[in-house]
Amino acid sequence: MTNTWYLYVFFAAALVFAGLLGLLGKRNLIKLLIAIEVIGKGVSLLLLSTGFAKGHILTAQALVITFIVVEVSLIATALALIINVYRHTKSLDVRNLAKLKG
Amino acid sequence: MIVQTALLIGVVLFSVLAIALRDVLRSAISLAAASLLLGIVFFKMNAPYAGVFEISVVAGLITVLFILTIALTKAGDEVRESRLVNWVFPLVFVAFVAVDALVMKSLLGKVPALAAAAESGTFGEVLWKGRTFDLVGQIAVILAGVFAVLALFRKREKHD
Repeated sequence: MTNTWYLYVFFAAALVFAGLLGLLGKRNLIKLLIAIEVIGKGVSLLLLSTGFAKGHILTAQALVITFIVVEVSLIATALALIINVYRHTKSLDVRNLAKLKG
Repeated sequence: MIVQTALLIGVVLFSVLAIALRDVLRSAISLAAASLLLGIVFFKMNAPYAGVFEISVVAGLITVLFILTIALTKAGDEVRESRLVNWVFPLVFVAFVAVDALVMKSLLGKVPALAAAAESGTFGEVLWKGRTFDLVGQIAVILAGVFAVLALFRKREKHD
């Protein structure tokens, strides 16, 4: 069991790190949101694999479902914000948001 | 075990592609592919409900939302990404995976696990009886999301 857990945690860490690198390096707002999604995938894989390894798969499933609902809500709101930002700045470049002029 | 490893490699590969690809539409589609593979991994872990949610909501709904946003912001595609990042990203990622492979196994042995009673019953019982408060939170989060989207897309009043 520990061997499978190791495998899942290894890949979950890789997913979270890939997402963090994307968040640090990319400038397109949609790309940043995709990076957040990738981090979310890593977290849900970690939750479920730990539940699987420790024999608590049902609780882990309940937590993952809650997490997915929160994620959808977050993405919908963030995409609506991105569309509004695009209407104002005519660009998806995150550097344009640094100009905080009312 | 081999199937799981192949699926997980696919998840990581498609996720990295989603971040690294230049075209945003292709990124969104490869994110959906990663979600699909992750859903299959969940099924393999005896977690069918989480798998169904992952495939239907994350691979389906979120991809539709992404594609809709990309269609609405078409002219904004040409954001110039830093060239340095395109070179550094794969190198740092490969280095991290190497460190991950070396360190993670010894780290896992040091994680303290809380003692808990073994689970019993069905998923429905655990969700409705054990995690009732989570469900209330989920309803609140969905409502908050709906109101946030409504507030962001409200029409301007005439005197504005």
